[in-house]
Amino acid sequence: MQKANVAINPPAVPRSPSGSIKSILSLLTHAASFSLFFLVWHVAAVYVVQSVLFPPPLEVFQRAIELIEQGELFSNIAVSLRRIFLGFLLGAAVGVPLGLGIASFATVRAIIEPWTEFLRFIPSVAMITIAVIWFGIGEESKIFLIFYTTVFIVIINTAAGVAAISKNKIRAARVLGATPWQIFFLVSLPGTVPFIVTGMRIAMANSFTTIVAAEMVSAHEGLGVMLWNARLYMQVPDIFVALVSLGVLGLLADKLFRMASAKLTASYSSNS
Amino acid sequence: MSFISLDSVGKQFLSRRATTAVAVRNFSLQLNQGEFFCLLGPSGCGKSTVLSMLAGFEAPSSGSIQLEGQEIVGSSRERCVVFQGDDSLYPWLTALENIAFGLRLQGMSKRERHAEAFKYLELVGLKGQENKHPTELSGGMKQRIQIARALVNKPRVLLMDEPFGALDAQTRNIMQMELRKIWKETETTILFITHDVDEAILLSTRAGVMTAGPGGTLKAVVDVDLEDNRSRSNPRYLELYDLVHGMIKEEVARSIH
Repeated sequence: MQKANVAINPPAVPRSPSGSIKSILSLLTHAASFSLFFLVWHVAAVYVVQSVLFPPPLEVFQRAIELIEQGELFSNIAVSLRRIFLGFLLGAAVGVPLGLGIASFATVRAIIEPWTEFLRFIPSVAMITIAVIWFGIGEESKIFLIFYTTVFIVIINTAAGVAAISKNKIRAARVLGATPWQIFFLVSLPGTVPFIVTGMRIAMANSFTTIVAAEMVSAHEGLGVMLWNARLYMQVPDIFVALVSLGVLGLLADKLFRMASAKLTASYSSNS
Repeated sequence: MSFISLDSVGKQFLSRRATTAVAVRNFSLQLNQGEFFCLLGPSGCGKSTVLSMLAGFEAPSSGSIQLEGQEIVGSSRERCVVFQGDDSLYPWLTALENIAFGLRLQGMSKRERHAEAFKYLELVGLKGQENKHPTELSGGMKQRIQIARALVNKPRVLLMDEPFGALDAQTRNIMQMELRKIWKETETTILFITHDVDEAILLSTRAGVMTAGPGGTLKAVVDVDLEDNRSRSNPRYLELYDLVHGMIKEEVARSIH
């Protein structure tokens, strides 16, 4: 039996009946788990704390619907996400080549690594004031801060990925006639993809922290602004709406990344 | 002038406490074009270091290594390596793309290199597996990819570092027979490292035995004067086996005491 030209990549979502039962089950457990969370929240707010400072979930949802109807919630979310997206792309676009360069070429390492190691210990929230002075309170300062958050994590993970490539993969390329540049583009780069994706996932999580802090300090719109203004006017439900939104957005972003990385890892990961 | 010549080659490594560890000492060997040479020796004798130097991964600390009178410097397509494990294959490429990798490095067009790689895929008996990724293939198949990937580049010498060491006995036997066949077809010079006496006698035209390490050297070279269709029941096989096995036993005993 010849089995030429068969599809190589296994489907990302299992199609077998047991697979779909599994995914339904996991959906149900997720739903149950969140129901329990909201139940505990409700009981704590209504029966234990009994204060306007801790609204129950239903009140938060009502407020969320109001804010959605006013268009305020989605416009704030869109502003924050756009900043994260742009800064994140920029950070990854700079971080991946730098990480590859550091791990592949001793000169690049010698020139760049000392100060990237130094800068990565300055938290991005500490950079907010100088970012605002440099770039103003508009988009540029936020994008810069997200870039700053992203770039070092991506550099470190990418460099670690290159270091994890087995020596024999490089040696094999050499005896097959590869130049250092060919080794870089055809071996180091594809071999590092799973690590790059992992670095980007961690960076994405940190970006959420940075954007909220930056927007709280100085901005006109965004989830951070929403949080800060709600504090000024004591609109506690608004604070909770912003918090829940952040949780949901983070969860979705991470889920997207995990799906992408599962796909990439299937074709790029090394078994050794 | 011999094809490959190693002349009083030595290799020392600087160990962590700044003392030198001798891996290979005063190693001299001449290889003829087209021969199948097996290098045997107890673990740690430095046989892999010899291969590493021939591949150009390491430079000898003393002595000289020449291919047709030219000093060997660094790696080259002329001297290809088949590695012991499967971690030298590229898991993001298919079997065919792995085999075509060397041709791709030379800038051959995709259609041309795939056609050429396909010939070698067939030669190593992997027809039908061309679109599979290494992770989907068995250990024996992965070593076949490695052999085809090396041969497609038409190297002057094929350096094989215990390529069948991790395979089960049955697969190993099949691979040995096929390697003999491929060697006859391609007339490539092969240096094959193993610690398995049986393997060396079934495969090689000459077998060299190294002394126990650290700092091993060549103890003796045995002519494996067996006919093509090699069988373990041939009395000459048994004689050679005893001879080589005896030498290695001596060395192992020395390394233990």
